[in-house]
Amino acid sequence: MSVGFIGAGQLAHALVKGFTAAGVIATKRITASSPDTDLPTVSGLRRMGVNLTTSNKEVVQNSDVLFLAVKPHIIPFVLDEIGPDIEDRHLIVSCAAGVTISSIEKKLLQYRQSPKVMRCMTNTPVVVREGATVYATGTHAEVEDGRLLEQLMASVGYCTEVEEDLIDAVTGLSGSGPAYAFTAVEALADGGVKMGLPRRLAVRLGAQALLGAAKMLLESDMHPGQLKDNVCSPGGATIHALHVMESGGFRSLLINAVEASCIRTRELQFLADQEKISPAAIKKTTLDKVLQQPGVGTGVGVRSGISLFNNNHPRNKK
Amino acid sequence: MSVGFIGAGQLAHALVKGFAAAGVIATQRIMASSPDTDLPTVAGLRRMGANLTTSNKEVVNNSDVLFLAVKPHIIPFVLDEIGPDIEDRHLIVSCAAGVTISSIEKKLLQYRPCPKVMRCMTNTPVVVREGATVYATGTHAQVEDGKLLEQLMASVGFCTEVEEDLIDAVTGLSGSGPAYAFTALDALADGGVKMGLPRRLAVRLGAQALLGAAKMLLDSELHPGQLKDNVCSPGGATIHALHVMESGGFRSLLINAVEASCIRTRELQFLADQEKISPAAIKKTTLDKVLQQGSPVNTDRPDIQTSSR
Repeated sequence: MSVGFIGAGQLAHALVKGFTAAGVIATKRITASSPDTDLPTVSGLRRMGVNLTTSNKEVVQNSDVLFLAVKPHIIPFVLDEIGPDIEDRHLIVSCAAGVTISSIEKKLLQYRQSPKVMRCMTNTPVVVREGATVYATGTHAEVEDGRLLEQLMASVGYCTEVEEDLIDAVTGLSGSGPAYAFTAVEALADGGVKMGLPRRLAVRLGAQALLGAAKMLLESDMHPGQLKDNVCSPGGATIHALHVMESGGFRSLLINAVEASCIRTRELQFLADQEKISPAAIKKTTLDKVLQQPGVGTGVGVRSGISLFNNNHPRNKK
Repeated sequence: MSVGFIGAGQLAHALVKGFAAAGVIATQRIMASSPDTDLPTVAGLRRMGANLTTSNKEVVNNSDVLFLAVKPHIIPFVLDEIGPDIEDRHLIVSCAAGVTISSIEKKLLQYRPCPKVMRCMTNTPVVVREGATVYATGTHAQVEDGKLLEQLMASVGFCTEVEEDLIDAVTGLSGSGPAYAFTALDALADGGVKMGLPRRLAVRLGAQALLGAAKMLLDSELHPGQLKDNVCSPGGATIHALHVMESGGFRSLLINAVEASCIRTRELQFLADQEKISPAAIKKTTLDKVLQQGSPVNTDRPDIQTSSR
């Protein structure tokens, strides 16, 4: 089995690093494409033994499981480019936030009858094999396709299937979650430093405390509130600390965060469904390079309010 | 080598569970004492194969490394009781928040010239072998004593030596830290449920996200701010979320928490150093049972001064 990545950025790099550490696939069976060969992630992938190319078509031809690991607004360009090269064996896995399975299937149906599409939402800790991944199955994907994807993603962390309509909420929670955690550790470390600890030790202890607590919760049947109770001895230091947190509405801030991330994800999905991308939203270099690829129609005009699902597809033009 | 625990509560239970999982010591070489045999942790310890007793002296006689795993205000009673039974081989490790090495040494010096004392601050995730422990070395403890303790505690998580004056701050950060995390996880799950996720999945994803991020940080040389930047794509969902957190002063609440826990720890230490314990602060059953052991505590005064000599 070969795995391909359209896109060689943070996500591809993190997944490959995790897969490699898990030994679930040999790096020589992985190909990744990127128009920009200067990215640090590109050299990282090369160092790991992955095959790099600037040609998306080459990735498609050399893979069975094909991850779309580009920014959401690039997806339509990519699908137009690789559509003709998709074969029956291909399992297309989109990792793009807010891009629906139906929008991908709609594009690919122009080229094949039954494109096998899945959508997944993962997060960066796949790089240390502690990711959180959910996936939804498209119309033509089979049970064994789901199992295959789950096998891959479970090698780098937690993985479970969900209905597609939950994916935006998952984005808000575990997709963005690591950022909430990094912010929290930095603040905890500031607290430690304020009370006299050296910075390195404070960061270490803060991260370790979060890790240990999360692991306790994952390995326990107890409610988080019960676990919290168990560490608050009467009149002790911890319950004093919790009081000041609650006084500041700590819990509410985290609910707000999950909500804000989820809502923004839905917004981005809505904008994408509108199929109008402003030129400013597409890095000019990226667009130019995509257009330079042989086979990509140049009839896709960069007008203000560009429609990427233009029925006047270059191939259909007479 | 045998390990003893004075006290068979949450801390002893968590440490024994971790040590057993790590295979660093056989449970039959562990003994724990408790006046209250009804505690769920006592039953848990028994199930793990540790030896249980109601006699603190028996624990002392059967151990080389002796953990004091009782509440801070009980420590003076315990020290008075076991003082005469301490021998040269014993390494006393106090886990009591806010109890200084010097206060323990002061008590034990009444019985021995060179009591080997260490003080440690750990946390409950030792139970899953991901604890955070620091320790400080007392006047008469040797380098190899530190190494021995570090070997034990490193089997259940991160462990490092510190100067004693940092321990209160550590209490505020990693001692209380798991409670901050459990609260955060409850709230994150609430957020997920609000946006449509089933509760179990929301709890699972929230905990996994925190665990993964913490592991990334521990395995990386990068600054947490840099790691945060790396996951915030321009105009994306995550930076929108971070903005609402910052608007609410999220960071400040965590600094406040660490500070509050640290300050309360220092307060408790100050009260303990005053050596005036109100009878109400000591559970009556516990005091009675300690007194039944025949400890030479002066009981004919309303406020029990435990340094009456």
